[in-house]
Amino acid sequence: MAQNYTRVGAFQKIISFAVLGLVLALILIPYAYIIATAFKEPGEVFETRWVPEKISLQAWTDVFEIFAFHQFLFNSLIAGLGSALLAVLISLPGAYIFARKKFRFRETFFYLIVGTLVFPFILLIVPLTIIWIKVGLFNTFLGLWLAFQIFAVPYCVWILRGFFAQLSPHLEEAAMVYGCTQFQAFYKVMVPLAKPVVISVLFLSFLYGWSDFLFSNMLTTGGGPQTASVAIYIATAGGERIEWEMLAVMTLIAGVPPVAVYMLAQKYLSQTFATAV
Amino acid sequence: MEERREIQSEDRAGIRVNALRKTFQPAGVVACDDVDLDIASGELLVLLGPSGCGKTTTLRCIAGLEKPDNEDAITVCGRNLRGVAPKDRNLAFVFQTTALFPHLNVRRNISFGLDMKKSLGREEIARRVERAAGLLKIDQLLERYPGELSGGQGQRVALGRAMVMEPDAFLLDEPFASLDAKLRVEMRTEIKLIQRQLHTTMIFVTHDQEEALTIGDKIAVMNEGVVQQFDTPHNIYHRPANLFVATFIGSPPINLFTCRVEERGDQVYLVSSLFEAAVPQAYREALRKTGDELKLGLRPEFISIGGVAGHIAGGVELIELMGSRSQVLVDCKGEEIRVQVQGDHNIREGEKVQLSLDLEHGFFFGPDELSLL
Repeated sequence: MAQNYTRVGAFQKIISFAVLGLVLALILIPYAYIIATAFKEPGEVFETRWVPEKISLQAWTDVFEIFAFHQFLFNSLIAGLGSALLAVLISLPGAYIFARKKFRFRETFFYLIVGTLVFPFILLIVPLTIIWIKVGLFNTFLGLWLAFQIFAVPYCVWILRGFFAQLSPHLEEAAMVYGCTQFQAFYKVMVPLAKPVVISVLFLSFLYGWSDFLFSNMLTTGGGPQTASVAIYIATAGGERIEWEMLAVMTLIAGVPPVAVYMLAQKYLSQTFATAV
Repeated sequence: MEERREIQSEDRAGIRVNALRKTFQPAGVVACDDVDLDIASGELLVLLGPSGCGKTTTLRCIAGLEKPDNEDAITVCGRNLRGVAPKDRNLAFVFQTTALFPHLNVRRNISFGLDMKKSLGREEIARRVERAAGLLKIDQLLERYPGELSGGQGQRVALGRAMVMEPDAFLLDEPFASLDAKLRVEMRTEIKLIQRQLHTTMIFVTHDQEEALTIGDKIAVMNEGVVQQFDTPHNIYHRPANLFVATFIGSPPINLFTCRVEERGDQVYLVSSLFEAAVPQAYREALRKTGDELKLGLRPEFISIGGVAGHIAGGVELIELMGSRSQVLVDCKGEEIRVQVQGDHNIREGEKVQLSLDLEHGFFFGPDELSLL
C-alpha cells in the first residue's frame, strides 16, 4: 500500500511539473526569441537559430541613430507621468467623497462611473478624435492625458473608494475634534494613510499611459507627442523590409521602465490589493 | 503652573444641554428627544443606557460631530455652540475605537491637537506631552506607532491626546468597552483619579451600569432617546424614578412582583399571587392613593432566606457564587426570585426555604411605571 501511495505521488508530481513547464514555456519562449532576435544581424533574422552566429549590436545603435527612439521614449514618459498625476489628482478627492459623503444617487453615480470601465473604448476613438481636433487638443500632451483619464479615473476611483470606505470614520472625526477643518482632516490624515494605495494607482495609470497604443496612435501625428508604442507600430509599416531586429530592440527597451517601476511599487501594490478591493 | 490650573478651573463653568433633539434623516429616527442636562464645572457625568438609547448621539452633538435639530441646544462655559465647528469647541473627544492616527507615532498622536493650534511653542508642546504621558504611564511608548500598542495602551494614548489640549471638558464615548474586564476596572479607577486631579468637567458614556455607579458624580440614565433619570449614583440605585431605571440598574437584577393594594381596617396590605404583606408605615399614605394595581421592585439584597415563617415559600433552584456574596435563585410557584446572601451560607440546591421581604427598601411603581414614592 505504502509503495503504491508513493508511486501515485511521484506520478502526480511529474504531471504537475509538466503542466507548469508547458505554461512557463508559453510565456517565456516569445521573450527569449525577442531577445535572440535583438542581437542578430539583419541577414540572420529569418534563420530559426536561438543563438545568433555573430552577436550584433547594430540594431541597438540604429534604433537611436536612425529612428531617434529616445524621443519617443521621452514622449511615453511624459504621457505616462502626466496621466498618472492627473488621474490621482482627480480621483483622490472624488473617491473620498464617494466613500464618505452621503448624497442622493451616490451609488448610482458611482456605478455609472465605474461602469464605464466595461464600455469598449474603441467606440470612442472616432468621436474623440474629431472633438480633439476641433478644440485643439489633437497632437498635444494635454490631449493624451485627458484621453487616458477615460479609463484611469474610473479605475482609480474604484480602488481608492474601497480603501477609504474601510477606514473608520472616527479617524476624521478625531482630526476634526483636534483642530482640523474637514479638508485638513482629509489631507493631513486620510491622504497620508492612503499612501500605499496612491502609489499603486499612480503606477497603474502610469503604466496605462506609457503603454497605451489606441489613443496615442489616433490622437497624435508625426512631429507630435508620439509615444514609443506608436513608434514601434510605425516601424512595422514603413520601408521595403520590416526590420525585425530593430523591432525586437525597441520592444525590449520600451518594456524595461514598466518592469522597473513595478519593482519599486510592488510592495504597495500587494498591500493595496490585499486590503482595498 | 499648578496655580494657573487652579485659577482656570475656578472660572470654568459647566455644560448645559437644553431640550436637545436629534432626528436622523431620511429615516426620521429620533435618537435624542428633549434631552436636558446640567453639568457643573469639574463634575463627572455618566450617560448610561442600553445600546441605541441615544447616549452616544447626545455626546456627539455636544462635540459637534452631529448637528442637533435645535442647533442652539448646547452651551459650554456660557458660550452657545450654535454653528461652532468641532475644532473650535475646545472639547476633547475620546472614541471607543481609540481612532489614533496610524501614520503618526504616539508622541505625534498626542501632540496632534497642539500642533494644529500653532499657538504653542515646541517646548511647551513637548512639556505637555511628557506630563500627560507620565500621568498615564506611557512615557516608554512615545516613539511607537499605534499598530504596536495593546488595546489598553492605545486607549491611554487617546486619553493623552485629549489631556494635552487642556479642554473645557472631556467627552468619552465608551472608552473602555473593548478592553478586558480586569483592565477596564483598573482604567476606570485611573480615569476617575485623573479627572479629580485635573478637575476638568467630563462626560462619560457607557452601557455598563457598574462602571457608571463607580465613577459618576452624576448619572443620566437614558432609554429610547429620553433621559429617564438624572441624579446621583446613590439616588439612581436607591431611588429609581421609574421601572426602567430600577430594572436596568443593579446586578443581579431586581425582582418584580405585580401586587394589589388592599385596605384592611387602618392597615394597607400588598397582595400578590405569592404573598400578602403589610405595607410599612412610611409608604402607607402614598400607596393608599393609587389604584389597586402596582409593581413592587425589590433588590436581591433586600430579600432574606431562612426563618420559619417568611412571606414566600420556595425551593432553591441554583446557587451562583459571586465572590464575597452568592446569588440564590429560588423557584416559587413557577416564578423565579433572586436572593443575595453572604458567601459563607449553608444553603443547598433543592432545599425548601422561606423568603422574607424587606419592604422598607421596596420600590413601588404605578401603572404608568413611575415611582409612587
